[in-house]
Amino acid sequence: MNERNERIHGVACTFRKVSDVFHAAEKVRDAGWKNWDVHTPFPIHGMDQAMGMPRSPVPRLTLLGGVTGFITGCLLTWYTNSYDYPLIVGGKPYWSVIFPFPVLYECTILFAAFGTFFGQFIFNRLPRHNHPLFELPNFSRVSDDTFMIVLEARDPQFHLDESRNFLQSLGGQEITVIRD
Amino acid sequence: MSSSSPHALTAHWKKFLGAGVVAMAVLWYFACAGVAHHENRQALSILVGSLFWISVLIGMLMLTMITRVFDAGWAPIIRRNWELLIIALPVVIVLGVAPLAFSTSFRHALWDWTDAAHVLPSGHAVGHDPILQAKSWFLNEKFFLIRVSLYVLVFGVLATLLRRWSFAQDTDRTAGHTHRLHAVSAVGIPLSAVTLTMLAFDCLMALSYHWFSTMYGVWFFALSIRLALAVTVILTYRLSNGGWLDGLLNQAHRHVLGCLMLAFTVFWAYISFSQYFLIYTANIPEETFWYNIREFDPATGLKNQWWGVSMYMIFGFFLLPFLSLLFYRTKIVAGRLLTVAWIILIGGIVDLWFNALPRQVYDKSAPEGFVVTPFLTSSLFLDLLAIAGFGAIVIALFLRSASKQETIPVHDPRILESINYHE
Repeated sequence: MNERNERIHGVACTFRKVSDVFHAAEKVRDAGWKNWDVHTPFPIHGMDQAMGMPRSPVPRLTLLGGVTGFITGCLLTWYTNSYDYPLIVGGKPYWSVIFPFPVLYECTILFAAFGTFFGQFIFNRLPRHNHPLFELPNFSRVSDDTFMIVLEARDPQFHLDESRNFLQSLGGQEITVIRD
Repeated sequence: MSSSSPHALTAHWKKFLGAGVVAMAVLWYFACAGVAHHENRQALSILVGSLFWISVLIGMLMLTMITRVFDAGWAPIIRRNWELLIIALPVVIVLGVAPLAFSTSFRHALWDWTDAAHVLPSGHAVGHDPILQAKSWFLNEKFFLIRVSLYVLVFGVLATLLRRWSFAQDTDRTAGHTHRLHAVSAVGIPLSAVTLTMLAFDCLMALSYHWFSTMYGVWFFALSIRLALAVTVILTYRLSNGGWLDGLLNQAHRHVLGCLMLAFTVFWAYISFSQYFLIYTANIPEETFWYNIREFDPATGLKNQWWGVSMYMIFGFFLLPFLSLLFYRTKIVAGRLLTVAWIILIGGIVDLWFNALPRQVYDKSAPEGFVVTPFLTSSLFLDLLAIAGFGAIVIALFLRSASKQETIPVHDPRILESINYHE
């Protein structure tokens, strides 16, 4: 790694018990941290609240996708059947909201699914091929028997020594500085 | 919560029973007087009132069985209330639909096809109707009465079994009951599906027996689940404010009920629209007349009152609950979910009206030979009285059951999972 590019990503520490990491997360939340994360081998019920996580913004893109799909379906059926090549089928009007409704709601569902699928990519910042945490020698253990809290350097509260001491006060072990 | 001290709420069951009995007396008095004067609208009120609760209770029966076969972890504390309620299902059929079907004068007044002398809009008598003759393997009085008896039997047996073993588990703490209920539910779901489809055909579709829709049973199922969920939300709200769900019902329970309400709102719209769409596309007179009389006056082509009801179905019963329930906070904030539940409940009553009330009445002086019964009549109040009356009986049976049984399934294997249910 190049000397001048070497920056600090954050500070990590590990916990051995669910209750420890849960209460530590509550304290980090209460200290007002914004850019930090908890890594666990399995989902912990209530961790979202303990971390003070807001609801995912993905449903907004789902709704946006759905509305876009409905309008797209309207335009598609109106343009093809009523404007570009007006055609009477089965004695129905050139365009109404009834006969093309299967097209409208299928487009709604399709575009809503696109909104959800690509929305989670956007909000999860995917695709991402590497992460500084992967450099940690013990990081694989958070998919086995260890819990980890990472305080990130981009948080305005971050100060290397203070953050280290903060993690220590929470009962964190193996406090490690992660470099980019 | 202990078995020795039933909740104070349950002491009110006799008051509800009294109110229900008085309402039944009033309703049957009006219905008998109406039939004596060749009017069927009062009897129709009894049909609509009982069908509303039959629909609610069939929905609860299905939800009870569905949560059993899926081993739903959230369900036990809510399902116990369904178990306390569903015994009212055969009772409501016996008090409402069955007397209407078994009494010849009521049967002839409500179900045109049973009265061979009834004059059709075409001016011919029912007895000479080739369309009825072709359907007579199903629409004959003997089979009709057998079917009505079977509704009581099938739903009665299922409700009894689902209750008996669930209640037995409260005292003998045997996990085997859960497996037994699992098996009963697996058999009961398809059996109920067929039974509720026949019930919807007989009680609603056959009111206008020329018309047919293969979606009708599914529509009735969708409506039933929507109504059952709406009543469940209203009931659990009450029971968590001074009832036996105090401090037990949490945000995650509301969320799961809200999600189901959203799903079945969409499903109801899907089924109702599909039924309309297929008939609209095929454009066959035997089918379209059913929607035509619900949209415009046959002689003038002007929109009638039922058109307004149709629009209410689209915007008030689908779009409003649908858009509200899309938002997460609607599903978790108790007051908001309660509001949506009431909107669905009212919409469900209007949907039953939309399906049961519009009828073609033979009228020689009308240009088309018939007139369509209007929506806005004073008889709507009698319908509401019928819904309230049957409701009082349902609540009385519910509270009476609750006074004798545990109101929380204390030894259900999933009771802790249910109480601690988390999103």
